[in-house]
Amino acid sequence: MAQAPSSSAGHLPKQGGDTTPRPPAGLPHQRKGTTPQMRGRYPDYDVLTAASHWDAKTRGVVLDRVANVPPIRFFTEQEARTLGAFCDVVTGQDAEPRIPVLEMVDAKLHAGRLDGFRHHDMPPDPETWQQVAANLDDSAREHGSDDGFAAASSETQHEIVQRFSEGKLDWELPVTKAWGVVMRGVLGAFYSHPWAWNEIGFGGPAYPRGYARLGAGQREHWEAPPEFGVDPVHDVHERGLE
Amino acid sequence: MRRYSPDETVDMLIVGAGAGGATLAQRLARKGWRVLVLEAGPFWDPDEDWVSDEAGAHPLYWTEERIIGGEDPVELGKNNCGRGVGGSMIHYAGFTPRFHPSDFEVYTRDGVAADWPITYEDLKPHYERLERELPVAGEFWPWGDPHDYPHGPHPVGAGALKAWEGARRLGIEMRVGPVGIANGSFGHRPHCIYRGFCLQGCKVGAKASPLVTHIPDALEHGVEVRADCMVTQIETDETGRCTGVTYFHDNQEHFQAAEAITVAGYSIETPRLLLHSTSSRFPNGLANENDLVGRGIMVQGAPQVAGRFPEEMRMYKAPPPEISSEQFYETDPGRGFARGFSIQTVGPLPIGWAEHVLADGHWGQSLREYMRDYNHWYTIGCLSELLPRAENRVTLAEQTDRNGMPVARLDYTQCENDRANIAYAKNKLHEILHAAEAQDILTIDRYAHLVGGCPMSDKPETGVIDRDHRAWGIPNLFVCDGSVMPTQGSANPALTIMALASRLAERLDGKRIDPASKQQVSSHA
Repeated sequence: MAQAPSSSAGHLPKQGGDTTPRPPAGLPHQRKGTTPQMRGRYPDYDVLTAASHWDAKTRGVVLDRVANVPPIRFFTEQEARTLGAFCDVVTGQDAEPRIPVLEMVDAKLHAGRLDGFRHHDMPPDPETWQQVAANLDDSAREHGSDDGFAAASSETQHEIVQRFSEGKLDWELPVTKAWGVVMRGVLGAFYSHPWAWNEIGFGGPAYPRGYARLGAGQREHWEAPPEFGVDPVHDVHERGLE
Repeated sequence: MRRYSPDETVDMLIVGAGAGGATLAQRLARKGWRVLVLEAGPFWDPDEDWVSDEAGAHPLYWTEERIIGGEDPVELGKNNCGRGVGGSMIHYAGFTPRFHPSDFEVYTRDGVAADWPITYEDLKPHYERLERELPVAGEFWPWGDPHDYPHGPHPVGAGALKAWEGARRLGIEMRVGPVGIANGSFGHRPHCIYRGFCLQGCKVGAKASPLVTHIPDALEHGVEVRADCMVTQIETDETGRCTGVTYFHDNQEHFQAAEAITVAGYSIETPRLLLHSTSSRFPNGLANENDLVGRGIMVQGAPQVAGRFPEEMRMYKAPPPEISSEQFYETDPGRGFARGFSIQTVGPLPIGWAEHVLADGHWGQSLREYMRDYNHWYTIGCLSELLPRAENRVTLAEQTDRNGMPVARLDYTQCENDRANIAYAKNKLHEILHAAEAQDILTIDRYAHLVGGCPMSDKPETGVIDRDHRAWGIPNLFVCDGSVMPTQGSANPALTIMALASRLAERLDGKRIDPASKQQVSSHA
């Protein structure tokens, strides 16, 4: 298999890349540290190995995110089942290890932490999440899944989420705004987790030592080169995904 | 720090310790005024309170509930609302451009919006002084009133060089800066370490905010900053003068007496406080006889466009504000809309980048794919000057906060000129990235900044305060923050808010506000 020219953009969805619910074939297995589903572009990069260089406050906050997965306290069991499945679909988490997105969202809602605004025609964010859970289950039932969204087929889940993202579901809740509320929570949780930073090669906190190598293709000594085990352009072609 | 007792009548009580309030406090204290600042949020200790982490920066923002409406609602919170000593400058990117001379007379020049009751020349000496105090770093600035900066330009990262090259191919001039980030150590403040967390609070202390620029000097000159104090009411007597404020600290109600009051709570909280300060004499709130308090709120159209490049850009490095252009700042009749926009760089961290990718329509595996590609992207944005409109306003909602004070509601709808400006500017960003040979492009529509709501004017019928920031009809009430702006240009507002505060202090000079005065600032014995 051809070694990845990461300079190519052909693997990207808008460039004809794969938008089906699968990661691209040949995405390297993580060799060092953890990424969600143990795949990523930087198989030998673990941002947590730099933790001893971070200030103590930052280190505490970030390491706690990894070590302590909060219990579900805000959502009911049924809501958690539905929304857990939803979080998996929208973040493409199809296997372990998973970033505990719903647990992080639940902790925020349980603590009453708000984001500073609410649309006049929307309920408060915590209630929006609950209504989204109920509506996802209803939509799944309309697709014949009597046990709700979590028990629906992958195809059904994706179809519902696709329509949710396009504002095309017939819910009482303003759908596009609800999508904004839940995705703000999902992305804020997922990409605050250092496993996600490993996957995308983010250099991480870097205080107090900072960054010194700012040029194109330059890396700090603790940053790692990208690696992609397959030529994405070739791959997309081969899989007939164009 | 000096402490005043509740029944001690301070010379000036300032509500809010942001760009306006802190600068005013420092200036007045140096003139001998006894100044007390009440700040709703905490007195930050960057070492203890802040983290180099996007999600961990949540406490820096005003996150209590507010209601948004209108056809083009403005999301509040982390994007535009600060809380705590230093205000929104704690989490601003760091761009500190001046306004252009044209900004003060857009009605005369273009027949839109309103002229200011002051001119660029009134603010110019204060711009120059503040640029030295922050200090501002950047190349010689060729636009507006051309000027130099006290600190030289910072180094520029890979992505900004790409965007710059794209702009150059289109004949668009860009310059490094201007940023309120010391280039080199500055007094006790260390130099920038290019770690990229400007929007999460500068733990380094290199980025200017009142917390590290004007508050330390204010304390040195006898100002008391009383943090975690939420002012809910400005009290007035039967003659219509302010007597002090009611505020909450630790859920306890307090009163503080003052000879004069300056509200510096920014464009949402300042109108909210004035509207809520009702009495039999002021049934519609303070300075609101003409129903103008809260009207004319402005945001800038701020779409961001990201381009994908073959080499690694790693846009999390270097401060997000790197290079900018004001080539499109002024009205060009050929573009089909009044006023213009500026172009700037931004460097979203992972959560910000995820929101960008989502806004372009990607979730699930598609989102993950673009996210894994993070290090190959660079992002530029624009600030489109949107015009003030009376129906874009802050009102009081029915819902109340934990102190029983009604929360603010912000309604916002763009006009045709606004839409045309944003569309043109966004297209220009696309052109730059295409010219830079970006392999793929992702776009997000958004807003930036907040100003207006209590505009200054040359007569009471058209504004809330006069040219010296005094509320029309109330001799000892002032407003000094971004809300006073009648228009906003396409510059980031922080430096201008500070310059306005600096000018107000100069206008007040050594003169205290005499309790007996009705109209004029008079000398205090």
